[in-house]
Amino acid sequence: MSDECRQERPETLTLQSAADLVKQWAVSIRPVGESSLDVETSPETLPAAVAALWKARWGYLSAITALDNGSPAPAETAQAGAAPAAPRDDSLSVLYHFCRGPSVLTFRVKLPRARPFVPTLSRIVPPALLFEREVAETFGITIEGIPDRSRTFIADDWPEGIYPMRKDFSPQSALPPAPKSIAEPAAAPESKPGTFIVPIGPQHPALKEPGHFELTVDGELVTNARIRLGYVLRGIEKGAEDRTWIQTLYLMERICGICSHIHATAYVLGVEKLAGVTVPPRAQTVRTLFAELERIHSHLLWLGVAAHEAGFDTLFMYSWRDRETVMDLLERLSGNRVNYSVNVVGGVKYDVDAAGMDAIRRGLDHLEGRSHHYLKIATTDESFLRRTRGVGTITREQADMLGIVGPTARASGVPRDVRHDSPYAAYPQFPVEVVLDEGNDLVARFVVRIKELFECYRLIRAMLDRFPTGDLSIPVPRRIPEGEVVSRVEGPRGELFYYIRSAGGPKPDRVKVRTPSLCNWAAVESVAVGHKLADIPMILVGIDPCFSCNDRSIVVRRRASTESAEIPRHTEHWSWEDLRRHGIRSYEGGAT
Amino acid sequence: MESIVTRALNKVALWSRINSPWLVHFNSGSCNGCDIEILATLTPRYDLERFGVKLWGSPRHADVLICTGPVTRQARERLIRVYEQMPDPKFVVLVGSCGITGGVFHGCYNIVGALGDVIPVDVSVPGCPPRPEAIIDGVVQLLQKLKGGAPKTEAAGTVPPGAAGIMPPGAAGGTQ
Repeated sequence: MSDECRQERPETLTLQSAADLVKQWAVSIRPVGESSLDVETSPETLPAAVAALWKARWGYLSAITALDNGSPAPAETAQAGAAPAAPRDDSLSVLYHFCRGPSVLTFRVKLPRARPFVPTLSRIVPPALLFEREVAETFGITIEGIPDRSRTFIADDWPEGIYPMRKDFSPQSALPPAPKSIAEPAAAPESKPGTFIVPIGPQHPALKEPGHFELTVDGELVTNARIRLGYVLRGIEKGAEDRTWIQTLYLMERICGICSHIHATAYVLGVEKLAGVTVPPRAQTVRTLFAELERIHSHLLWLGVAAHEAGFDTLFMYSWRDRETVMDLLERLSGNRVNYSVNVVGGVKYDVDAAGMDAIRRGLDHLEGRSHHYLKIATTDESFLRRTRGVGTITREQADMLGIVGPTARASGVPRDVRHDSPYAAYPQFPVEVVLDEGNDLVARFVVRIKELFECYRLIRAMLDRFPTGDLSIPVPRRIPEGEVVSRVEGPRGELFYYIRSAGGPKPDRVKVRTPSLCNWAAVESVAVGHKLADIPMILVGIDPCFSCNDRSIVVRRRASTESAEIPRHTEHWSWEDLRRHGIRSYEGGAT
Repeated sequence: MESIVTRALNKVALWSRINSPWLVHFNSGSCNGCDIEILATLTPRYDLERFGVKLWGSPRHADVLICTGPVTRQARERLIRVYEQMPDPKFVVLVGSCGITGGVFHGCYNIVGALGDVIPVDVSVPGCPPRPEAIIDGVVQLLQKLKGGAPKTEAAGTVPPGAAGIMPPGAAGGTQ
């Protein structure tokens, strides 16, 4: 990356200083609440403004949201029972959300519907690439200068020129049917002589979810990685616009079965902020309690799957056996094992009684002992360490630049945790200590996740000791007042970002979800190169990828021909002779 | 006409299939909830493997396709391809409500429909997600069905061969 990005990070920059940085390019600057700033720019001045912000290292690009300001398709309006039409115009908007601690700075660009275009930011801010592709395909907004224009997100057989997220598209409207015959597999990308492309997936034994990987290998070494997702794209963001505020809650909960509660929490926190209601403290604590129990179950699940990838099935079975302890607790408290359905708009459904608290304490005591055992295995078992030590190293600099979030970032020493940076729900009362590790490699990712388990146990015990009394919910009107809100929470995999806009009706106008896995894909793509093929499953699982989270809307696809365009990678094409010599060297010198 | 040898071999094949069915798992658009419950079913607490069931990575070695989720536009062809790669006789267990009707995702633009619209389904396990006990029950029901000697799928939601791009039995390149 360019030199300016290596400058020291001045810790004193605030929202005001950000405003000073970008004001010369802004059309208008408007503070929203205490911690947000709305900066309107034109498409032409946007890159300069973003570059100024990026150069000063003010925060990271958290998400790009596109909006359609037009009216819904006529058929939809009729079904909605003539929702009160807010004053609307015929334009699209693109919002670029930069986050730093609790502050959110949003660049807002308004575009004409007839010919919407914005310049690409991916040359300034690498993580923008994935977000921009999503915007381009779902909204039909031209991203000028984007390195790859091939279809990256919606299905291969989706008709050209139909943009599913625009208001004039209705899911009910007739689409050309999917082809009846099985299409030939897409032509394999041309490989250079001496290289070979290993296609993996979408059905593959490594993960339980479908994704397609094309790994270009030279002998055993991976020289390029390309990922195609979208197999579990369902169209949830559009689906939300077709459902009431309450129905949408249950849809959001089913974005992902592993982190169902945190999705619902992010959604209800946003909606409650829009509605201007204050949820009772007991409800917030129950939410937080479930969020932490969910984190325990998710981290134990990940530990097992990661061990499985390393061929360590014993640890897989042990960690999943212990995970049943927390599954039992979740079931005892909510009646459900996976989609707990704890949240309602305005509070929670379930209380935690004294017997339940005792059960939680007993469960935690058991899990804590086991977690110590796992930490010992992950850090001392020599054969396991051979699969993890020095593998998939992401430096702090890279993690920062690629916009990586969650435990993956924290294992590279980037202190990014929304629970700490911008406390929500009951976290202001029960502060979190951010678990960091400077190891940068897969061992560090194991250590951070296991140590986070201990932090979860500590937090839950603290909550149980000081559980607030009071109501579980308060009524919230069915029509949410007009407005927009950003809701950020920390899921088990990292920062989860929701943007919610209401037009004052009984249904959401726009719900945008940016999941943590989406930010972390860039890590896999840039880190995989240079590793042995056998290490790829471990690297992949190291970020704890969640396809169903991603594929509520997005896909990554990298063409071999564009590999050097946006993210610097250390690709080297070796001849067979080079490879042969490398093999001899490696065996003689014991080097890798 | 079946010879004694063929009949005896078929008996042995059925016996071994009932006692050791191999599963292949495919997620055609699920939220992951069912997938982790399937995995939980295979781990020590529920231990589906005591029925001789084994989760295996390759469809070419599998007897049973265990499917989760509604069918998305992008996954549809791949689902059919996985199904066709399995050798005959093959069976499909569907886990989760959204695979039966579309469930909570009904009406989302990238859903082409229920699993039964795309491939024939033998056993459906409803729930969002179903409990591991229910998944075990589904697999055991399939085993019962196999004992009854039903070698080919006739379940509800079956589409005629070829209608959704499915080749007629025998043309899939599998071994009988």
